[in-house]
Amino acid sequence: MDKVIWEKVQRILPSLSLRDQGQVYVDTSEFMNISYGDVIALNGRHFVVIRDEAERRFGMEDPKFWVKRCRDLETEELYILKLVFHEHFDQHIGSMTIRCFRSPEKESRILELVKNDVRFMQGVTLNDTANNPVRILEMIRGRSLDSVIEDIDVDHASYFQEYFPGILKKYIGACEAVLFLHDHGERHGDIRRDHIWIEHSTGRYRWIDFDYAYESTENPFGLDLFGLGNILLFITGQGVHTTHDLAALSQGLDDNLTPEDFSLLFPNRLVNLRKRFPYIPISLNRVLLRFSAGTDVFYESVEELLDDLKPCLKELGAA
Amino acid sequence: MNFKKLLVAVDASENSARAVAYVGEMVGNTRGFHVTLLYVERFPERDTFPNEDSWRAACQKEEKTIRDFLEDSRRQLVNSGIAPEHVTVEYASASSLGARRSEGYSVARHVLQFHQEGGFGTVVVGRRGVSKAEEFLFGSVTTKIVHSAKDCTIWVVQ
Repeated sequence: MDKVIWEKVQRILPSLSLRDQGQVYVDTSEFMNISYGDVIALNGRHFVVIRDEAERRFGMEDPKFWVKRCRDLETEELYILKLVFHEHFDQHIGSMTIRCFRSPEKESRILELVKNDVRFMQGVTLNDTANNPVRILEMIRGRSLDSVIEDIDVDHASYFQEYFPGILKKYIGACEAVLFLHDHGERHGDIRRDHIWIEHSTGRYRWIDFDYAYESTENPFGLDLFGLGNILLFITGQGVHTTHDLAALSQGLDDNLTPEDFSLLFPNRLVNLRKRFPYIPISLNRVLLRFSAGTDVFYESVEELLDDLKPCLKELGAA
Repeated sequence: MNFKKLLVAVDASENSARAVAYVGEMVGNTRGFHVTLLYVERFPERDTFPNEDSWRAACQKEEKTIRDFLEDSRRQLVNSGIAPEHVTVEYASASSLGARRSEGYSVARHVLQFHQEGGFGTVVVGRRGVSKAEEFLFGSVTTKIVHSAKDCTIWVVQ
């Protein structure tokens, strides 16, 4: 490692000894070999690796070896570097299996499209010497939407009255951001409640992770819409309400429920939330029911979803 | 509209093969029918391939499969008794239709456009039967055609 670079690394990682000095990588193809203390050099910029990122889902930590948390050696700013990993895998949604691909090119394209649009994570792509498009992502200081909502420690009636209108308003903004992608021929591809980050300093909702790609279908935005429906259900219900949770309630609620009241894709997930929380307005509940097993009409565009959702916001007095 | 002018929308699936076989059975030895086999090209999604070369190879392979299917289907219809000059094959390439990456490109819309412009009185499609959940996530060419077609008869071959 060059002496100047090593001195900068030491400034950022003072506990690193000369014996543990890492390597400088200009080709990131073998991302498994790149670890703590190594430097990734891209187009004149240098990033020292702090650690591999990990995703926490269902209480499990899933390491992502191709995603490195780094500091820019010159500015000392934190960044997430996403290295190229052409993974393909099956995604299970309810009883359905969907072939999914991880496309760095797609994510780079979207980063370019949403440059300076604060509704999305920001970043640039720099190619390494092997022509791998490495995405340099700015850190969003904040928390995921689901963790924020899970920490609101009030009963549902209070939540719905005090918090929900403001959350719905921002969610609608997030839907408009997805519509922007669709209008430009792109799909988010992995719309989940932990892929909206709420920025601490501004309270903005910002979409992250755009690298999932799927085969074309006759309803190209179906998966994104499905994701938006799931998030709407989550924010309206202040969490997910399953048959298991409902069985624990001693309100005779079960007698009143039919299979049509549950999710089209997850038969144990209650969608007809008005049966659980009668103060949810009919107009909003009707939107939810479009994602239920009982529906005969599906949303085909985010525009259709927004057309139904915006009046709900007015009804809640938060427009 | 001329109901004896049939537009058979195919995609080399088993459902399409059944639709072609049904058309042969129904009109094979009857005079006055003209059958057009139409394939509307849908490229494999470029983003699902690691590079341009592998994507192009997949596109070429797909095109060959479809063209073979169209030729087999044409032969089958002729063998069923339709005059060769009354069987037309149309391969509508994605580039000719102005298809782009993932912009909401709809095969159904292009089939219906072809139907309108060609004055077809009958549209034939195969159907495998999709669940509600599949229809929500992926859509269905057949369902869209059934919902949106005007001034024609539709045969849905299950």
